[in-house]
Amino acid sequence: MLEIKNLHAKVAEEGTEILHGIDLTVNAGEVHAIMGPNGSGKSTLSYILSGREGYEVTEGSVTYKGQDLLQLEAYERAAAGVFLAFQYPIEIPGVATMQFLKVALNSQRKYRGEDELSTPDLMRLVREKSTSLGIKPEMLKRPVNVGFSGGEKKRAEVLQMAVLEPSLCILDETDSGLDIDALRVVAEGVNALRSPDRAMIVITHYQRLLDYIVPDKVHVLSKGRIVNSGGKELALELEKDGYAAYQDDAA
Amino acid sequence: MNRTPAEQTWDEFDTLPSGFADIRKTAADNFKSSGLPTRRVEEFKWTDLRRLIDQPYPPIIGKLHGDIDALIAVSPFAGIAKNRLVFINGLFDQARSKMPDDSNVTITTLSGKPDMDFSLKADDPLDNLNIAYASDGALIRISGKVKDPIELVYISSTKEPATVTTRNIIELDEGAEATILETCTGGKSAYVSNNATEIRLAKGARLDRVRLLDDGPLGIQLSNLIADLGENSKLADFTFIIGGRTVRNQGFATFTGQHAAVNISGAYMLKGKQHADTTLVIDHAVPSCESRELFKCVMDDTSRGVFQAKVIVARDAQKSDGQQTANALLLSDTAEFDAKPELEIYADDVLCGHGATSGDLDNNHLFYLMSRGIPESRARAMLIAAFASSSFEEISNEAVREKFNQIADGWLERQMEV
Repeated sequence: MLEIKNLHAKVAEEGTEILHGIDLTVNAGEVHAIMGPNGSGKSTLSYILSGREGYEVTEGSVTYKGQDLLQLEAYERAAAGVFLAFQYPIEIPGVATMQFLKVALNSQRKYRGEDELSTPDLMRLVREKSTSLGIKPEMLKRPVNVGFSGGEKKRAEVLQMAVLEPSLCILDETDSGLDIDALRVVAEGVNALRSPDRAMIVITHYQRLLDYIVPDKVHVLSKGRIVNSGGKELALELEKDGYAAYQDDAA
Repeated sequence: MNRTPAEQTWDEFDTLPSGFADIRKTAADNFKSSGLPTRRVEEFKWTDLRRLIDQPYPPIIGKLHGDIDALIAVSPFAGIAKNRLVFINGLFDQARSKMPDDSNVTITTLSGKPDMDFSLKADDPLDNLNIAYASDGALIRISGKVKDPIELVYISSTKEPATVTTRNIIELDEGAEATILETCTGGKSAYVSNNATEIRLAKGARLDRVRLLDDGPLGIQLSNLIADLGENSKLADFTFIIGGRTVRNQGFATFTGQHAAVNISGAYMLKGKQHADTTLVIDHAVPSCESRELFKCVMDDTSRGVFQAKVIVARDAQKSDGQQTANALLLSDTAEFDAKPELEIYADDVLCGHGATSGDLDNNHLFYLMSRGIPESRARAMLIAAFASSSFEEISNEAVREKFNQIADGWLERQMEV
């Protein structure tokens, strides 16, 4: 589904190279965890995959479902099935959550040449998906993420994911700011979306999240490179030994 | 100072509309001595009307021109108000109007020789000009709680450049309540629309007034609100400015009884070379009153928005509470917003404040929407509408808010025909 080859990227304005040649292949149905210390390039990788401006790819390629992902604009990537669950979901005053979901879903459907969903159908869909995530109807009446607690914001991200049904989900530090109960609810929501035709990249600093979302593969990102890959047991090693070994290696 | 062609034309127009002869004469004389204000007058420093009104606009009354019904259809309030008073080129149009059927509402028109007195704001050149030439207007007296909104539509549609002048009085008796919805619009030719409204609220009265100013591409709108608020009364006034070449939107509110409240708010959505100016003076002449002003202003291209608000608190007007806020969203490097909040406080126990901000769309907001599959143009439109619509919260009528949301949402695609 996703093939990243020798990806080098820098911050467009400052010119600092952050990714120094990333290779990663993610197949449909797989869940990959990317772990690494702060500043290793985890979030940059997620932004480059989702098409945020401000980064420049200087070398390498990203192929998604056989097409050059980097050629697509952010909204086209989303319509093609790439979804980024933000570490810090953005509050957008004045845009009602339900309206936002409707415009997002129908923009994607229109782009893919599918029929748009009517408002009652959409409301039914959203209500159904929000119940299992413990999202109250009042939250949907509020503007996007405005006044939501940290846990509510993360749940709202998972709700969007459930409604938009992407093929490739990138979860950026989804566990940050969550207590254990909220983490469990969010993880259950994510696990419910695991399917043979969907892939997930779970970016996290801590192993804790991976107790709930069990990955097929774990990669260690340090200073812009993947320095080790393995099975889920690698995450447990990291939890025990920390990132020090990798940081010394890279230095 | 030399008279401009516009001033000369007004000066020479010696057949003032009939009725109110004395006050009209005084007003016309006042205007003859003051003329149009220039930028050297502090209140007009960003809106130099002497320069902006750059050709003669002879006063006209009536004389239908163009597709009037298409212009009336500009009003977003048709489905909300069950009745409507239409004024075309400064003359009441009975055939296109539907009077409210409510014993608590008494309406006469200025052309119908009413038994009402104007109060002239003699130091305001626009009010002098208005009283001198006002050819018609609605004189509305409300005596009880009136549920159905009353709609007023003002159309300026002239063949040649002309001045269209209307003046209204809205009086609410003790404890009365009403909602007035107004639309000002016009045709494609150049015109000056001078529309003034006096609002007089008796003890405990409550008036909600919402206006859409959607004038023609060459239209100049001179709008005046002169409000007198009695004890415990409440005025909520909202103006959504979207059309017109130049809009000067003035408001003067004076508290004459304690524990009264005024909210004068609005939104601008400007593009092309549009210029909109709101200038307010809130006079806390008595203690314990509350004033609120909130304006959300969107400017694109080379348009310019101006917001000036002065809150005056008299020496013994303790416990006055005045807050004013103006926020601008500038969508181009050549758009401009000028704000001047002013507090003139002579009392010592007051709560007054002001704030003004200006900025561009937030790229984080834009990326968030796009990352969910929303194309950039649509995402921008949503965020622009969201900015403007945050001011609509000041409007208590939900159906009106919904209509305004729709207008704001479609604004980016709206073409300015100049």
